[in-house]
Order: sequence, then structure tokens, then C-alpha cells
Amino acid sequence: MKCEIKGSQAFSYLEIELAPGETIITESDAMSSMDAGLDLTAKFNGGFFKGLLRKYIGGESLFINHFTNNTQRACRMTVVQGTPGELRSRTLDNDVFYVQPGAFLARTPGVTMGLEWAGLVSFIAREGLFRLKFSGTGEVFYGAYGALLEREIDGEYIVDSSHLVAYEPGITLKLQLAGGIFSSFFGGEGLVTRVQGKGKIIIQSRSITGLAGWLNPKFW
Amino acid sequence: MQDNHFNVILTGDLRDGIDLSAAISSLAAMFKTSEEKIQQTIAKAPVSVKSNVEAATAEKFKTAIEQCGFVCVIKAVSETVAATAPVSAPLPVPVNQDVLASASEIVESPASFKGLSYKIEGRPDYSFLTVQIPANQTLKVEASAMATMDTHLVMKTKLKGGFGRFLTGESLFLNEFTAERAAGEIGLAPGTPGDLFHQYLDGQTIFLQNSAFVAATMDVTLETKWQGMLKGFFSGESFFLIRCSGKGDLWFNSYGAIIEIDVEDDYVVDTSNIVAFTDGLEYNITRVGGYKSLFFSGEGFVCRFTGKGKVWIQTRSAQAFTSWAHFFRPV
Repeated sequence: MKCEIKGSQAFSYLEIELAPGETIITESDAMSSMDAGLDLTAKFNGGFFKGLLRKYIGGESLFINHFTNNTQRACRMTVVQGTPGELRSRTLDNDVFYVQPGAFLARTPGVTMGLEWAGLVSFIAREGLFRLKFSGTGEVFYGAYGALLEREIDGEYIVDSSHLVAYEPGITLKLQLAGGIFSSFFGGEGLVTRVQGKGKIIIQSRSITGLAGWLNPKFW
Repeated sequence: MQDNHFNVILTGDLRDGIDLSAAISSLAAMFKTSEEKIQQTIAKAPVSVKSNVEAATAEKFKTAIEQCGFVCVIKAVSETVAATAPVSAPLPVPVNQDVLASASEIVESPASFKGLSYKIEGRPDYSFLTVQIPANQTLKVEASAMATMDTHLVMKTKLKGGFGRFLTGESLFLNEFTAERAAGEIGLAPGTPGDLFHQYLDGQTIFLQNSAFVAATMDVTLETKWQGMLKGFFSGESFFLIRCSGKGDLWFNSYGAIIEIDVEDDYVVDTSNIVAFTDGLEYNITRVGGYKSLFFSGEGFVCRFTGKGKVWIQTRSAQAFTSWAHFFRPV
């Protein structure tokens, strides 16, 4: 399987070439074009009840699509995300990677996706009650609104709520106020996430709340 | 004024006996950018890697670049203007932007730089600014722009500029982030999709469109300025501008990419595309053509700048976006 992230930062897309017999699993509605030879199987996202959980709690869809190449030649397809923004991939080699709900785009079959309780902290920080846990061996593709930037954490760091996209298992999240009580509520920052531990985090350089705050007053 | 200022030009040629890839990688290390960017820059050679600097600084750059293995020449600014035409016209404000930086997606503050060190990533679509705040110094930041920071930074919310800022449409509150005891890092993400731009103010004054402010150091004074009823009404933006003066770093943002324009005589900008302009420029709101054009050309009113200075424009306007998107909104 050959995967390549193409396009500008603002409108990245994923180009995949599947060799005969290979499969890629994508978020529903993520396929934008493909060779006619590819077969699509829509499956419940980990079973009916788990699928429902993932849809309503994990921010993912009830169904997930398996694209399989049952032909004798290589087939290409392109996969896109719904939001304008950057895509990234993460190669898993028998390790774990956490992604925020809604950011998942595609994975290879060797990677399993689980929904994990992220704690009340994560919920209050507007990062969702659950997080997506990827484990196994293979590739995970994820994306978000804005450019994706990598930060190496060793110790503590503060990330504004709704800017965190993904993190390594060595990282734990805590919640705190951005400043004092007055500052937190009038400064427009409110609650922030305190990231602790050692490892990489991926942040998005824009947030939908920022966009809405800029745009909403301009509509009449 | 121009005589004692110089541009450092990378000719693209290698010095004798130097391996190209080795030279590129050492140059990349020096400018803290990727080898790919350097290759792109070299491909455009001859390019000016540092413009409008004094002789001593230019000499320093030349030596450093030549150590990496590239041939480098220094030209007086006045010569370069003649040679490369409108790229660098007279500059009332010293410009820190250089060709190397604009070729790359990541802008970093140059080594010989007076202000705070900073980095802009994700250009031009979703620019993200990271500023290193030295110990016990403070940075003024637009409310809700903070995206990441070190844990020891202390945030204080200030009501800046009094009631004036309430009217500009800029948030009433500014956040001040102080690095207590030790230096700290802060990451800023403006709400608008678009670019970020840095200016070092050294006594000059820059006027910003009401929502363009992102961050500034403490010695930069921010005031709101009434544009006048007529200008404010027809500019389509706001009745107020933000006047930035003093000494220090200033960062502002745009919707779309930012283009810097040197104005020498008259220049016309659509009112909704103005991001910022330097003091010394007079501006008037005028029509482009006759009354028929005013209503049917779709251009409406424009801003006519006269005098000498710089104007920064954005390549998209919020009004155009909202009127396009409006039809798709559920009512």
C-alpha cells in the first residue's frame, strides 16, 4: 500500500494506492474518488452497540467503510476530511496513539481503534468524554481544522481547549483555569488543558470556536 | 538615506571545491530551516537573503554564508533597486522580512534581531505564532488568541485603551502574559484563517484595521483612533483604527495572505482589503469610477492612499466571504 498526503495545508487530501488484496478502513463519507474496481463494505464501527457509542459519544460515525482491492491490479483512491485543514499520519509499531474524537480519517487493517474513557477533565475542557485509542501495527491518518503542529513535551505545557488533536500515551491531561477567576472569564481563555508527561502532542493552529467568533458577527 | 544600506545577494554559485549538498545543509542549519527550502531559494538565485541592512550587518551575513560555501555579494540598496526594480523601493520602516523567509512556510526571527525571538508556522493559510518571552517580560495578546503556553506564564486580563477598544470591535479585554522568573514560550492562534505578519517598531507608527491586532510587547502603545464619520461609514469595516506606536514587536494578522505594498504616489485599495498602513500616508474614501460604476461594478468605495509609506493588504475580504457563504446558511 502506498499512501501519500497531498494538497496544500489548507486542503490536504490522502492518495492511496491499494495493491491486489489490500484493504483500507476509512471514516464514512471520506472517499472522494476511486478506481471503479474497489469494493466497498460498510460495517458497523466495531459492532452495533459499540458503533452507536462511537457515534454519539466518540464523535465518529456509526458505520465505517472498508475499501478492498479484489482486482488483479493496483487501484488508487483519494480520501478527504470534511473540515478544511491539514492531514497527518502516524506509523504504529505495536504501540498506542490517542486521537481526539472527530479527527480520525483512515487506518490500515493492522491498527485497531478503541473508544476509551478520557475522564471528566477531558469533557469539561471541550475535548470530549472519550478519546480514540489506536493500537497495533500500521498507519493511522487523522486531520483537523487548521495546520497541525508537533510539540515535544517534557514536563508540563498548557494547551487551550479545542486545540489538542492527538497525543502519545506518555501524556496525561489535567484541567485548570487560564488565569485568575476574572481573567479566565473575561479574557476569553476560560479553561485550559494542562498537558503533563513526556512525549509528542499534535495541536491544531486554528479552532472552530475562533472561526465562529470571527465570522458570526459578520453575518447579518 | 539609502546610501549606507545594503542588500546581501546570494548569487547561487558555489565557491570552489565545495559540495552542493553539504553547502545546502550547512546553510539550512544556519537559517534553521529545511534543506528543501534552501534548495528552492537557491533555485531562484540571484536572491537577496538580507535586505536593507547596514554595512557591518551585511558583512557579517556575507561571511557566514560564505563559510557555508556559497558565493555572496553585497550591493547598496540604491543599486539593487535599479537592478531588480520594484522589489525594494524606499523603506520608511525597516523591514525584517527577507526573501529566504518568504520562500519558506516557517518564518523565524533572524539571529541579529532586536526584538523577541519568534516563529511563525503554518503559513499562509493557518499561521501560528510562537513567541519566546524573556524572564519577567510581558506580552500583550488579543483576547482568546492563546493556544499553547508554558505552565509558568501568568495571564492577567486588562481593560486596555478604555472604552475606545470596546467600540473598535476588538475585544474589550487584552490579555497580558508575563513570564515570571524564567523565560517562557507562548503559542498564538488568531481566529481568522490567514497569515501573520511581524513588524519591529522603532518609533514609527502603524495603523491597523480593527481586528488585525494579535500581539505586541509592552513598549508598544495601542490606541484607538476615530476615522471620522464619513471614512468609517464607507470603509465598510469600522469607525476605528488601532494606532500602534512606540518601540517593540508588533504582530498582526489577516484573512487570506498578506501582501506588502510600497506606496510612493497614489495607490487604491478596496476598503475591505486593508490590513495596516504606516503613518504618513493620507487616505481618502473615494469612488473608483462614476456613479454608475459605484453601484454596478461591485467595487463600491475604495481607499485612496497618498504620500509615502507602506500598505499591507489581505488577499481575501471577510465581506466577500460572508456574502458568498450567506446563501448556503439555513435561515
